[in-house]
Amino acid sequence: MTSTRPRPTDNGPRRPRDTTRRGTRTVRVWTSAALAAAAALAALLVPLLAPLDQQAVDLTAKLLAPSADHPFGTDELGRDILLRSVHGLRVSLLVGITAALVASVLGLLIGAAAGALGGRTDRLVMRAVDTFTAVPHLLMGIFIVAMFRPGIWPVIASVGLTHWVSTARIVRAEVLSLRSRPYIDAAVSGGASRLRVARRHLVPAVLPQAGLAAVLMVPHAIWHESALSFLGLGIPAHQASLGTMINGARGSLLTGEWWPTLFPGLFIVVPTLAIAGLAGAWRERINPRRRSELVL
Amino acid sequence: MTTTTAPAPLLSVRGLAVRFLMPGGADIAAVNDVSFDLSAGECLALVGESGCGKSVLAGALLGLLPGNARTRGSALLSSEPGVVPIDLPAADERTLARTVRGRLLGLVPQSPAGHLTPVRTVRSQLRETIRALHGTRGRDLAAATEAAAERAAFPADHLDRYPHQLSGGLAQRAATALALVGDAPLLIADEPTTGLDRDLVARTVGELRRHTDEGRALLVITHDLAAAERIADRVAVMYAGRIVELTDAAPFFGTPGPRHPYAAGLLRALPERDFTPIPGQPPGLDALPAGCAFAPRCPRATAVCAEPPDLIDGTACHHVPEPADV
Amino acid sequence: MSEPAPALELTGITAGYERRPPVVRDISLRVAAGEALGLLGPSGCGKSTLARVAALLHRPRAGTVHLAGRRATGFRHRAPRAQRTRVGVVFQQPRQAADPRLTLHDLIAEPLRATGDTTALPARVAALADATGLGTELLYRRPHQVSDGQLQRACLARALVLRPALLICDEMTAMLDASTTAALVAVVEDYRRDTGAALLTVGHDRALLHRWCDRLQEFPRERPLTPAP
Repeated sequence: MTSTRPRPTDNGPRRPRDTTRRGTRTVRVWTSAALAAAAALAALLVPLLAPLDQQAVDLTAKLLAPSADHPFGTDELGRDILLRSVHGLRVSLLVGITAALVASVLGLLIGAAAGALGGRTDRLVMRAVDTFTAVPHLLMGIFIVAMFRPGIWPVIASVGLTHWVSTARIVRAEVLSLRSRPYIDAAVSGGASRLRVARRHLVPAVLPQAGLAAVLMVPHAIWHESALSFLGLGIPAHQASLGTMINGARGSLLTGEWWPTLFPGLFIVVPTLAIAGLAGAWRERINPRRRSELVL
Repeated sequence: MTTTTAPAPLLSVRGLAVRFLMPGGADIAAVNDVSFDLSAGECLALVGESGCGKSVLAGALLGLLPGNARTRGSALLSSEPGVVPIDLPAADERTLARTVRGRLLGLVPQSPAGHLTPVRTVRSQLRETIRALHGTRGRDLAAATEAAAERAAFPADHLDRYPHQLSGGLAQRAATALALVGDAPLLIADEPTTGLDRDLVARTVGELRRHTDEGRALLVITHDLAAAERIADRVAVMYAGRIVELTDAAPFFGTPGPRHPYAAGLLRALPERDFTPIPGQPPGLDALPAGCAFAPRCPRATAVCAEPPDLIDGTACHHVPEPADV
Repeated sequence: MSEPAPALELTGITAGYERRPPVVRDISLRVAAGEALGLLGPSGCGKSTLARVAALLHRPRAGTVHLAGRRATGFRHRAPRAQRTRVGVVFQQPRQAADPRLTLHDLIAEPLRATGDTTALPARVAALADATGLGTELLYRRPHQVSDGQLQRACLARALVLRPALLICDEMTAMLDASTTAALVAVVEDYRRDTGAALLTVGHDRALLHRWCDRLQEFPRERPLTPAP
């Protein structure tokens, strides 16, 4: 005898695994969100409450180990590492977000143009993409910053101008696959110009992908900024930047003072991982393979 | 053409309902209180327009519903007499994968070209399926592969072709051959004739009919009434998630014709007949009326239609005309 | 007055995709002004490609297209907008033919906006929603919230919104049930009665095309090795 009592079923045994996976995913997303929010708040508010006195050099307090007064210790010039790291984070986030925006908008425009126009434009763009891919980003970045005086804007330009390639690739592929859809045919038949087809049908369709690429690029851009600053080519040494701080701490690391390297390093790693975690969650949301949409 | 003795049905669906809980909190009742039996050697055509819930019903039987679906009721598939039947909507994925799909229930897909792996030959796909379902190996496997192709009338000299080298008809036979490998007593064909031209429809229908005549049970899901007429022993007409008429195919398509006004309207809309549409449109499955869902479009509707009609004598209508004959 | 030029004349059309062999070989056909021509063909025979050529959406490798006596010089964006919009097209699969982000209202209104003709937009969309049996209630839903039949009604409304002189229906009703099929055909015939537009309908259902069209033409029976995607 089988029970005739109606019972809800939930598609078999996929449920437990899905639930646990969803559980860890939720924890990961919220941790990432909390860390990213904390980093953003600190970078926004702390410099307002505790302005960094660039000249606050106190050679009597140099290289103090972490203590109640200086939770992250002091550097080789006696400056508080916690405060400088927060200020450095502000610079890094500013550079990272702006550079990622520049790169993504460039990538979106170039990729959409290549995919939508096709033919000669497409071939030209793809050769440019190959060229940029062939040269390591950092090398190209160094080349670009070297043309300017050190500062924030050359770093943004250097990262932005070298990182549009991946977005352009993603957008072009997406546009190419959309272009053969009958709804694009219908738009053309309805009198839409090339620009209108791109603006109305193609770009909105690729925006989630491009946006995801942009967010994923923020951590990457931060790492590049730090690398350039570490090499002494990015943010000038007198400005607090995580890269310059780690660069300045090289000497003390050899003599056993680990804190001037570790804490700025954590300020690079933790917020970038948090942003990457959020981007990962976003990717799962827009994943086309997700079968949640009911087709009637 | 009626069965003399009624053996226990192979598939017995009772009170099956599927709802979807949508992100916005909406609740879509895609299938409501569906009951029918299907015996070996019999073909039931489930007809209705797109969005009436027939594909969801198939999904519930195959265990292929998305995660936000909730099913109620039962669909008992009896593998052989004496063995406890499997309740398909309640079965877990393991049971479905190991004992049901391919072995008890074969799916003839809607688009055979998309159902075959494009980078492998038909032979290699058949071999793999036979090995997975029967564990056949070596020389026996080669023979079994040819035999499997033969059963679906797939020409042996085309076995080494890739799916893209096959015509639509041959691709359909290849997919059918795959569905038949496990000797499943129940076949479900999902819109097998959509987009096919007349010759291919005739051939596909003929082949599916042959498998029924060999003793399999066949559930055909289609919106193509002409195909249903050619293949089915019985017809179930679905409207807004419910079966509104369940009857023998011959009187349904011939005389006296359908008894439910929706079914009658569908047949009248055929180009071979009046070619006149049923006025209005079906209700959304998220906002079904409390009473008869067809009442707003129905010429026979009266006040009693505010009550939902039960499926009595194969028709769910308050205004069934008295049958002229038995 | 002399005999009006045929609404559509295809001469010796050969067409294909990229470097693959052509899917349409040397096809000619003629749709007289106001006529309804049914083009019958088996699945995968290249009917859809021919329909796209006739709608100026695909450049043929050889052959000419004349619309109302004027030879088409370019295809897709190279065709003058006025020429493109003389032809309305309805495709087989409404889900593929509707931008998933637009509401049905915007879907129907899009050609009006694209051509800058927005003066009578609300009235025109409302009239077409009514004529196609869509009603105003569904207009603010998106494609995934309506059925295939409802979406195809909206796609037909979009094809008619610019009042084309020629309507091309590529297997418009292949996915639809009998009642919706009859309803959509009635919409097309009402439109043609009002405007005198010509019709090229491409399909495999002989009974339907026989009932619908003035004249039937068979697509040459030449089964390609590769079924259409």
